[in-house]
Amino acid sequence: MTAPLAVTTHGLTRRYGDVVAVDGLDLEVAAQTVVALLGPNGAGKTTTVRMLATLEAPSAGTARVCGFDPVSQGDEVRRRISLTGQFAALEDNLTARENLVLMARLRGFRRATALRIVGELVDRLDLGEVRDTLIKNLSGGQRRRVDLAASLVVQPELLVLDEPTTGLDPRSRQMVWSTMRDLVAAGVTLLLTTQYLEEADVLADRIVLLDHGRVVATGTPTDLKSRIGEQRVDVVAVDTAALDQLVAALDGAFELQVLRERRSVSIPAPGGSADLAHIAAALRATGVPLDEVALRRPTLDDAFLALTAGTAA
Amino acid sequence: MSPSTSTLVRPGAEEAPSAERRLVPELGTRPGSFRRYVRETALLVGRGLRTIPRVPERLLDVTIQPIMFTLLFLYVFGSAIDVPGMRYQDYLLPGLLGQGLAFGVMGAGAATAADFSSGVIDRFRSLPVTRLSVISAQVVGQVLEQIIGMAIVVGLGLALGWRPDLTAWGFLELSGLVLLGLFAFTWLGVLIGMTFRSPDAVQGLGFGVLFPLAFLAGTFVPIDGMAAVPRAIAEWDPISALVAAVRQVCQGSHTSGSWQLEHPVPAMIGWCGLVIAVCVPLALRRFRTIRAA
Repeated sequence: MTAPLAVTTHGLTRRYGDVVAVDGLDLEVAAQTVVALLGPNGAGKTTTVRMLATLEAPSAGTARVCGFDPVSQGDEVRRRISLTGQFAALEDNLTARENLVLMARLRGFRRATALRIVGELVDRLDLGEVRDTLIKNLSGGQRRRVDLAASLVVQPELLVLDEPTTGLDPRSRQMVWSTMRDLVAAGVTLLLTTQYLEEADVLADRIVLLDHGRVVATGTPTDLKSRIGEQRVDVVAVDTAALDQLVAALDGAFELQVLRERRSVSIPAPGGSADLAHIAAALRATGVPLDEVALRRPTLDDAFLALTAGTAA
Repeated sequence: MSPSTSTLVRPGAEEAPSAERRLVPELGTRPGSFRRYVRETALLVGRGLRTIPRVPERLLDVTIQPIMFTLLFLYVFGSAIDVPGMRYQDYLLPGLLGQGLAFGVMGAGAATAADFSSGVIDRFRSLPVTRLSVISAQVVGQVLEQIIGMAIVVGLGLALGWRPDLTAWGFLELSGLVLLGLFAFTWLGVLIGMTFRSPDAVQGLGFGVLFPLAFLAGTFVPIDGMAAVPRAIAEWDPISALVAAVRQVCQGSHTSGSWQLEHPVPAMIGWCGLVIAVCVPLALRRFRTIRAA
């Protein structure tokens, strides 16, 4: 038996006048996996998510979400998914708990059940401190977590998060990530959009790289990184004189890439830590004073720049 | 699955055969169910009304303007305005009530624009909630807020000496007209709010269009005394019909000039019917196709 698909799209397209926001998108999200739509502003991430969540109709193409068509069976789709949009969509002048209870009741629960569900959710997401605070008095990170909680008053078959950490400070981001990891551990299928390469790297099983409404590349984070190139060792000298000494001493022995403005030399290390040890020994032998030596994996930034360069208009 | 997630399933609910356990709603979710529609609409209206005690200043929208007009005209300009056969309070207050029906456009429009630009509406639209109930709640909530605002103005008017001449039947007729007017112009406001998506733009439009029409409408001074051009406009100004209709029902006064001034109640019903016939289908259509700003 093959794993069921939570989302499939074929040639999904959305045009606004002459602008093609999403251009023939083919997408698959397997159940109980995390898929990240990664791309810059205007890549079509939000439009895609809005079409899947029944907020917008596609101009062309088809989609199935949890087995139903978002255009003709919207109610069935909405019953099975939860969407947390880009902006915290909560009533500012109600408390966190009042907002959550409203969501639960709109989902079809009696007041008593809604209160119980929300009580459990508040414990589970550690929202006790903010429970009785008006939303407008919460920080961005707290608001975002209440917003996430609003999507979890039921356990959805598919949770869609549109840029869940955009605009958050690093600490809030960590908290939101940890909440998302818990959800994934509990078996939620997650489709998220992000501009942050690190976020996709940390959370996603599969990344779909979008640019100008099209898929540029897709694969696991490791796949994508390996398609970009190998690991490298970056060496930073204490000053430019030391850098010159270092280059003179190592030239010939290694394939050097010198970045003068950063006082650094970058050396390919396809063998990873074994190469690092070898390079470190050679560095020690030169006796040149150094600031920093680090083994660096290619980042998704490298991947993004390399993979989208070809599609730039 | 962790215990904390499994407790989200309704006790006694049969376990779904699929790998995913899902929460089973307790109440009817049949599409098109009228009870579902009423329940969801009530929940969404409740959301708006519950915020009033937290932000009472929201009601300023619907109260401050008529209160200022009442005081300004009663005590500043009123002394220079002579309405034959009537005390000025009895002329002004019904006028303000009639005009207030049309001014609901601004409040409803601004509130709708704010909701649509904040993402709250998108969240509701992504829930398994009848879409008609999302927009109905918008209208019902606004109408209720304006009724609260009008009650305050009426109270102030009575305190300052307004004496409406109402029988029980007249009161029913007045209530019906007020509800009809609020309903119609709130739909217009909702349509404008959805179209412009910015509370400021809605306010600007309101001042640009409604104010001139309101000042020409015979709210503050009788139309008969106006110069030829403004008078011609005033005779067919829809707000004139609202003002004259409310005044006729409250004080039994009659106006003359155009057909709509001589038959203000049917004219008002006609204008409101026209606004409803145009705005409701447009607003519903717009609601189905709306996209993020």
